[in-house]
Amino acid sequence: MDIGRRLKIAREAIGYTLKQASQESKIGESSISEFENSKREPKFSQLSKLAEIYRKTVEFFFSDESPIENLMLWRDAPSIDEEIKQTESEFRQLCEQYHNLELLMCAKRSIRLPQPEVTKPEEFNCTQANLLAEKTQKEFLLGDIPSMSLKQTLEEKYYVKIFHLGFSGSAISTRSEQFGPAILLNRRNKLWRRNFDLAHELFHLLTWGIFRTGAPESTEPSQVEEKFANGFASRLLLPTDSVKNKIDSASGQDGKVSFEALDEIAREFGVSLDSLLWRMLYLYNKSVEEIERYIEHANKLRMTRPLRESDKPDRLPERYCSLAIRALNEGKLSLMQFAKYMDMSYRQAREYLTEDEDFKDEKISISLA
Amino acid sequence: MKKFQFLLLEAGPIIKLFELGIWDDFIEKCDVTISKIVAEEAKWVSREFQDIRIDLEPYEAIIKVVDLEPAIVKSFYEKFNLRYKAVIHDGEKETLAFLCESPENWSVCSADAAVFMVLGFLGKGNQGISLQEILQKIGLSQSNLEWEYTKKFREKYTRKGQIDFTQGQGLL
Repeated sequence: MDIGRRLKIAREAIGYTLKQASQESKIGESSISEFENSKREPKFSQLSKLAEIYRKTVEFFFSDESPIENLMLWRDAPSIDEEIKQTESEFRQLCEQYHNLELLMCAKRSIRLPQPEVTKPEEFNCTQANLLAEKTQKEFLLGDIPSMSLKQTLEEKYYVKIFHLGFSGSAISTRSEQFGPAILLNRRNKLWRRNFDLAHELFHLLTWGIFRTGAPESTEPSQVEEKFANGFASRLLLPTDSVKNKIDSASGQDGKVSFEALDEIAREFGVSLDSLLWRMLYLYNKSVEEIERYIEHANKLRMTRPLRESDKPDRLPERYCSLAIRALNEGKLSLMQFAKYMDMSYRQAREYLTEDEDFKDEKISISLA
Repeated sequence: MKKFQFLLLEAGPIIKLFELGIWDDFIEKCDVTISKIVAEEAKWVSREFQDIRIDLEPYEAIIKVVDLEPAIVKSFYEKFNLRYKAVIHDGEKETLAFLCESPENWSVCSADAAVFMVLGFLGKGNQGISLQEILQKIGLSQSNLEWEYTKKFREKYTRKGQIDFTQGQGLL
C-alpha cells in the first residue's frame, strides 16, 4: 500500500475532512489531496506534520503491511462521530507509545487475566458474571474494599494500560495483538464513576474472547452483555460479606438503615449510592420496584461532596511515565521524543535529564546478604 | 580562520547558541546545515523561552535547510528493528538519514544521548560532535556548559551505542 493511500486512511481514521487537515497542518488542501491520490509525494517534513496531526508515526506511512484497526468498545459513546474517532485516535496513540516504551526498556510483560468458565456467548449468564467477579476478586487479592486497589493491580500486576482523557462518554476498552489490553477512562468523571467504569470495562477485557467473535454484530456490546458487565462490576466492587457487614452494623435496632448511612458506605467502597442500592437488590432479596423507589427517594436527598484531588486523575499512567524517564536517561529516547510522549514542553522535558554525569555509569546497588 | 564545514545542527545546540547569544558568531565560523523539521522544532521550542526568539528564516541565505524525500528516511530506518523506530524524533531521523545518505563526511552536533547512541551503533561515532568541542574548534569556547553539551556526554553515549552494536543487543 502506498503512502498516499495510507495518508487517506489516517485522515479518515481521525475524522478530518481535507479542509480540517489543511487547517491543522498548514499544508494546502490541494497538496494533501494530491498526496492522497499519489499525484505527488510529500516531503518528509510534510509527512511528519501530517503524521503528527493524524496521531500516527511516520512508520505507519512506510509500512508494507495492511493497517491494523483495533476494535474499540465504547461505554456511552459520544453522539458525534468525529469525537469518537478523535478520542479513539488519541487513545490508540497513547497505547502505542506505551508499548514502544515497554519495548525500549525491555519491560514488555503479559500476565494472563482471569478467564470465565464458559467459552460461548450463549453459555454466559448472570451466574457466570458473578462467578467471574468472585474469581477476579480472589486472583487480584482485592480485599474488602476492591476499588482502592483495582486500578493499581490492573496496571502494575497485569500490565493493563489505563489512560485518562477528557471526552464525552464514559470509557473505552480494547484488546490489541500489538499492545495488549487497555482501558480509557473519562478524567472529567468523578472517582466513583470511574471506579465503576473501570470494573465494567474489565468485564469486557475478560470476556473479549467470548463476545468479540469477529462477526459484524460483535463490534458493539449487546444490552444483555452490558447487563452482565454492570452485574460483574457491582459484584466486584461490592463484595457480599464486607458490604453486608457494613450495612448490618449501620442499621438501627429496628433493622432499618438511613440513606445518609448508606451514602457513607457507598463512599467507603468508592461507588455511587445508586450502585449500592442496586447491589442490595441481591443482598437483601429486594424487588426491582422497591429499589427503584429507593433510588428515586435518594435522588431527592442527593448529598453534595466537595471536589477532591482524586477527581482530577493524571492523563498518563505512573508506569508509563517511569518507563519514559528511564528511557530518556539511558539514552533510549531522545529529548524531543520524550517531550512528545509525556505531552510536555521541551523546557519541561529538559528538567528530567539526569544532571550527574557519572550517575548511570556507576550503578549504586545495595547488598541483600 | 577557515570555516568549519559539513556541520549538521540539532535543535538542542541551536537553542543553546541562541540562549548564549552567539548564534550569529557561530554561523560566521561554520557552514551550518539543518533539517527542515529541526528548523521548525527550534522555532516552536523557542516560544517556551521568554528571553529568546528563534527564527531561522532571516538566515536562510547563510544556512542550508534540507527537506528530504521520504524514501531516503525510509531506507535509513529500515536498517533497524522495531525498537529503534521509537527512539528518535522525526527531526533527528531526517538529520541522521541525511548524514548516512551523503558521500561527504558530515558531523552532527547534538545534545541528545539517543542521537549519539545511534551514531555509535551505526559505526559513525566519529561523526558526532558536542557543542563544547565545536565551540572550542572555532574559538568560541564557553565555560559552564551543561552536561549534555560536553565532550564527555557525547563520548559516553557513543560508547554505549558501540557496545550495543558489538553485543548485538540493547537499543537497536
